[in-house]
Amino acid sequence: MTSRALDQFLQSVERRAFKIAQLGLRNEDDALDAVQDSMMKLVQSYGSRGEDELKPLFYRILSNRIRDMQRRRTVRGRIMAWLPTRDAEDDEEIDIVAQAASPDPEPARRLEIDEAIGVLESAIADLPPRQQQAFLLRNFEGLDVAETASAMGCSEGSVKTHYFRALESLRARLGDVI
Amino acid sequence: MDDRTPFETRTREILEESTAKLDGRTLSRLTQARHAAQESKPARSPWMSFAPAGAAAAVAVLAVVMWSGNRASDPVLFAQGTQVDDMELLADGEAPDFTDVAEDLEFYEWAADEVET
Repeated sequence: MTSRALDQFLQSVERRAFKIAQLGLRNEDDALDAVQDSMMKLVQSYGSRGEDELKPLFYRILSNRIRDMQRRRTVRGRIMAWLPTRDAEDDEEIDIVAQAASPDPEPARRLEIDEAIGVLESAIADLPPRQQQAFLLRNFEGLDVAETASAMGCSEGSVKTHYFRALESLRARLGDVI
Repeated sequence: MDDRTPFETRTREILEESTAKLDGRTLSRLTQARHAAQESKPARSPWMSFAPAGAAAAVAVLAVVMWSGNRASDPVLFAQGTQVDDMELLADGEAPDFTDVAEDLEFYEWAADEVET
């Protein structure tokens, strides 16, 4: 695969990959690290693969990376619980670029969308990891059952079960909200 | 997924909206990540560009060596083949019939006796 084709592929998945990582890790910086690590791994180890193989491979790498970071964070959380806490606000810096959101002409509509995004993302973030993965890969990224199974490293039956449970859980929680 | 329910379609639309609203800093860092990934691609050694030609040459040399080896053993194979052919020829019904020669000898003996008497 040419560098240009690989770049186009990465560009086509980077936003959704970031969102998936952000929902799994609940942290933007960690999500960006996970996406960059996954991109590097894909390019270094699987850059010569066919285009149809790349998406499941990339999401397999990303899923593993997210899981590793979740585990590491759990261990770090246990250690940090023994140490004195520090005010997080001290570390925050004003970032002009970060505050420049995409332009949107209708404030009322924007508010409505923002609320829907907040409610949905919160509900997805609270799903068990496997259900969250199945839901995001199937519904958001649009992988089919076989590709999702490949990306998650499980059977197609498991994908269907996780996806069904995720949908039920989200429906029960969100109902008519969205 | 074409058979989405309205709920699935709506949730997907909302998630797409959220990716469209990513801030400039995040988009910039994603672009940097992509470029960093591309730059991390293992560089190909200049010698590797000759690898296909080298492999083809090696195969050609091997083929010539094996062919020469076969040729060297040809005389033996041919000799063995000739022996086998001879045996088949002897066993074959089309082979010359030496009984004819024996009959001719009897005739010449009889003719010689006739001349003597």
